[in-house]
Amino acid sequence: MWQALFMGLLQGATELFPVSSLGHAVLVPSLLHWSFKQSDSAFVPFLVLLHLGTAAALLILYRTQWVQIIRGFFTAALRGRITNDSERLAMLLMTGTIPAAILGVFLENRIKSLFASPYAAAGLLVANGGLMLGAEMLRRRAERRVQAASLSRIEQEERFTDAAHISFAAAALVGACQALAFLPGISRSGVTIGGGLLAGLRHQESARFSFLLATPVILGAALIEIPQLLNAGVPVVEFAAAAVLAGVAAYLSARFLLRYFRSGRLDPYGWYCVAAGLVSLALLHFGL
Amino acid sequence: MTRSTPLAVGLAVLGVVFIVIAALYAFGVLQILVSDPSSPHHYTHMILFIVLAVASFVAANFARPKTV
Repeated sequence: MWQALFMGLLQGATELFPVSSLGHAVLVPSLLHWSFKQSDSAFVPFLVLLHLGTAAALLILYRTQWVQIIRGFFTAALRGRITNDSERLAMLLMTGTIPAAILGVFLENRIKSLFASPYAAAGLLVANGGLMLGAEMLRRRAERRVQAASLSRIEQEERFTDAAHISFAAAALVGACQALAFLPGISRSGVTIGGGLLAGLRHQESARFSFLLATPVILGAALIEIPQLLNAGVPVVEFAAAAVLAGVAAYLSARFLLRYFRSGRLDPYGWYCVAAGLVSLALLHFGL
Repeated sequence: MTRSTPLAVGLAVLGVVFIVIAALYAFGVLQILVSDPSSPHHYTHMILFIVLAVASFVAANFARPKTV
C-alpha cells in the first residue's frame, strides 16, 4: 500500500518535472529492492491510473484554456482560416500531437521493452541531463545573438515569444521530441521544454506548451489502456488512491514549475539528472 | 499555408485513405506493426488513423482557395 502511494506521489511529481517519471519508476523500486517492479503484471494498469491522475490535474489547471483551444480548433477547422491566438494554438497542438501519436502507437512498446532495464534508465537519465544542459547552452547563445545577455532574466525572457507564435514546423518537431520519452530516463517535459526553447519560446511559455502538448498524449494513452486495467483484477481502491496522489502532486508540480520558469532555467534539473543517473549506475553496479 | 485546389483535393483523398486504413485495422484485416497479431481488432491503430483522417480533412479545408 505505502509503496503504491509513494510511487503515485513520485510519478505525479516527476511526470511534469523534467527528470523522467518512467526513469524514476524503473529505478526507484530497483534501488530500494521493492517487490513492485516493471515486470509485474500490475505495473502497466497501475501506471495507467497514475497517468489518468496526472492528465486530470493538467485538465483542471488549464480548464479555461482547454475550452478556448477546443472551441478554437472547431472554429478554425470549419472556417479553414486562423483568426486568433486560441485557434492558432489549437492547430499548433494538433500539429505537435500527431507525430507523437504516430510514433507512440507504432514504436512505444518496442522501445520500452528494449530499454526496460534499470541500467538503461540510469544511463538515459544522464543523457536526459545532457540534452537539457545542451538546450540551455544553445539558448544562452541565442540570448547573446539578440543582445539580451546583459539584461535581467525577466527582460531576457521578454525577448522571446509565446506558445501561439511558433512555426508549425517547430510545433511538429517539439511534438516528435515527445517520442524520446518512451525511453525510460528521457523526460517528456524535459525534451519538449528544451525543444520549445530552441524554437524561440520563453521558458514559462515553453513549459506551458509542453504541458498542453502532454495532456492529449497522456490522456489518450491512459484511456486506451483502461480495458486492460478493468480486466487485470488489480486492487482498484489502492491504485485509485495512488492516482489521486499523483494528480495532486502533478497539479502542485505544474504550478511550481510555471512560477519557477518565469526566470528559472533547465540547468538545475539537467545537473540533477546527470548526478542521479551516475549515482544510480554506481549503486546498481556495486549492488548497494 | 499554400492554397490550391489540387493540394486540397490531395489532402481530402489522403483523409479518405486514412479512414479506409482505420477500418482495416478495426476489422483486423491489417496487421502491420501491431503489438499483438493474434488480436481480432486493433482499436489503437484505428483511433490513430481516424485522427490522421480528421487532420487531413482540416488541412484540406485550410488548403482550399477561399472566395473572399
